[in-house]
Amino acid sequence: MMKRLLHGVPLHATVLLALLLAALVVAPAFANDYLLTVLIVILYFAYTGQAWNVMMGFAGQLSLGHALYVGLGAYTTAALYVHFGIGPWIGMPMAILISVACGAIIGFLAFRFGVGGVYFAILTIAFAEFARIGFDHFSWVGGSAGFFLPVANYSHDDLMNLRGRPAMFYYVILALTAVAFLLCHALMRSRVGYFWQAIREDEEAARSLGIDTFRYKMYAILISSGMTAPAGVFFAFYYNNLFPEQTFFILRSIEIILGPIIGGVGTLFGPIIGAFLITGLAEVLQELLTWYGFDPPGAKRVFYGLCLLVVVMILPHGVWPPLSRLLRVDRETERTGDKAEP
Amino acid sequence: MNRQSHTPPSRRNAGTTRRTFNTGLAAAASLLAAPAIVRAQGGPLKVGVLLPRSGAQASIGQDCQRGVDVAGPILKSLGLPDLQIMNADTETNVEVARARAEKLVNDGAQLLVGAFDSGQTTAIAQVAEQKGIPLVINIAAAPPITEQGYKFVFRNFPTAPMILGDAFNNQKEIFAATGATPKTVVFMHVNDTFGTAMSKAVPGLMPKFQMPYKIVETISYDPTARDLSVEVSKAKATGAEALMMVSRLNDAILITRELVKQRWSPMGVLSMGPGWYEDQYLKTLGRLSDGPISLVPWYDPNKKLSKQLEAALAKQFPGINLNTNHIYTFEAVLVAADAFRRAKSTDPKALAEAIRTTNITENVSTGPGIRFDAKGQNVQLKNSAIQNRGGKLVTVAPKAASNAKPEFPMVAYDKRR
Repeated sequence: MMKRLLHGVPLHATVLLALLLAALVVAPAFANDYLLTVLIVILYFAYTGQAWNVMMGFAGQLSLGHALYVGLGAYTTAALYVHFGIGPWIGMPMAILISVACGAIIGFLAFRFGVGGVYFAILTIAFAEFARIGFDHFSWVGGSAGFFLPVANYSHDDLMNLRGRPAMFYYVILALTAVAFLLCHALMRSRVGYFWQAIREDEEAARSLGIDTFRYKMYAILISSGMTAPAGVFFAFYYNNLFPEQTFFILRSIEIILGPIIGGVGTLFGPIIGAFLITGLAEVLQELLTWYGFDPPGAKRVFYGLCLLVVVMILPHGVWPPLSRLLRVDRETERTGDKAEP
Repeated sequence: MNRQSHTPPSRRNAGTTRRTFNTGLAAAASLLAAPAIVRAQGGPLKVGVLLPRSGAQASIGQDCQRGVDVAGPILKSLGLPDLQIMNADTETNVEVARARAEKLVNDGAQLLVGAFDSGQTTAIAQVAEQKGIPLVINIAAAPPITEQGYKFVFRNFPTAPMILGDAFNNQKEIFAATGATPKTVVFMHVNDTFGTAMSKAVPGLMPKFQMPYKIVETISYDPTARDLSVEVSKAKATGAEALMMVSRLNDAILITRELVKQRWSPMGVLSMGPGWYEDQYLKTLGRLSDGPISLVPWYDPNKKLSKQLEAALAKQFPGINLNTNHIYTFEAVLVAADAFRRAKSTDPKALAEAIRTTNITENVSTGPGIRFDAKGQNVQLKNSAIQNRGGKLVTVAPKAASNAKPEFPMVAYDKRR
């Protein structure tokens, strides 16, 4: 299986990937809790960005409502835990199922009736907003007053119930990100992945070649929504409070897509690089400003804006394609295109 | 984050050269990678203040910050020790709030203050509890925050049920004092999170407090609506004697203008939220802003410290009236300084113990003072009824904390000169 996964990947790219993974695995031994928290945020956005990338990057379907699946995953497992004492790992399949069901409804409505492009994006926003308003009135999970998970000062890690110290959460989100990376890598090089790319490039042409575009677009939304739900589980148990206004809000969806856009839509490393850039560099920027005695509120948001500006104007395919060429880790077969991948 | 001491930091406004830039870059990197928590053992107490100074709650966060900015000289005049303030912006985001809290603790903060919003505060509370660093909550009303069994979390702000309970009690006091009691009200509320929560809680609690009026109709609306003429005409058509409101600023201004245009002067406007007492409302509407009564966590204008805080704010921020955001953020800093004085130590555990035994009677907010129960909640807090009068705000209830008598019914809009 490993041989299949690594087929066509340059040796030094494999080495670099292994080094990155090793550095991330040993990070808690050297990093303080602050750095660990920043890394958790980075990996959280890398994971959700990867899940979103399946829809937009692979299949070309723009979703601006992925906060919906995060929220459904979060509320499902949190409610099962608080009301029935069901742990997050047991609740996770239910969370994924609900997210997938919701994705199926959106996908069916959109793809069956030919809703595409910007109209599909609006539909995804609409569903996220429906959920926000609905959960505002759903008193079983706290409604608009918020849903709180019981917390305590944990002296040991309880992985089964996701109760514990930041280091445990770090390894959980690192594992999720690694699994998502491998899954996306496998998907990208599968028959489904090639069909998605054909649909992304030209749906009419793909259909004329006999690709059942409805079916494969449905696969994309089902897999993407299902992948996003575990991020919600993580969010609920790490932050321990959920408010519909904050969980389903469109800004949450925008935050999810920033990483892949800056890193490179449709690439495997794009969401990861993007998450590192927007969160990591923003933290460094904040530190520098503090060091020089400046305290401008919202400096990071300006930085996000500048990043987007640079990407749109200079690197329209994101940071990863040129970076991969620079590092010479792009596939031999794909070096001619902008969507180079290891 | 910005370190802001009552003695200005030496690095502030220093010229930037390539060398200092490189030094800064290296420092930033080392700060990010520092392996251990650095805690100063001597010197002033390092207080990390976490507020949403950018993002959706930016204006409120910045307003809260003013309460910290004016605190230094007042604390000094009270004989309280010097504090080193370390500011951090939560960006109205739960993830950032938690990361910033970790950063402040990592940078040596021995006590945390914040963070206006219940979600962000919950995220910060977990860091505080895990690190054993006291957190003094300035504003956050969700009851579960102090129901978790935390040992390092203290809240000097009323919970949502406390706010509503006092709102009803103060209304009854006003009705009794003026001899005017509405028999019917129409309830208008924004349909955002806050408005929806209030719309559910108000009718549920009314029987418990035996309110003398009944709600004849409930009308919800979008807080971003540009035209509320239909909603106001609908409210007028109910024939209700008074208007009960849960609103924001812009819609409060729109509704007042519609009341004037549609020639409807209810006995009073009873507001249970922001909007009607805000500076912008008073400035925009002039004499039309007079009359509404807001039932909110407020300050006792008769207390010495209130006058001192009011004067300090007017001096440093001319044109800004003292409000809830300033009061409770200032008091959080006051709690920190008081605990530091009594603990005689910057050790977080000693500070937490000192906060637990806080007994401040010379404070600003309405009520007998600041004391925390076993859960870390100040249950002594009271809320006030404030009325707009001549472009200013006067407190009309409870009587013990008032500086004016209520005017109820309010003067009709068409009879104002």
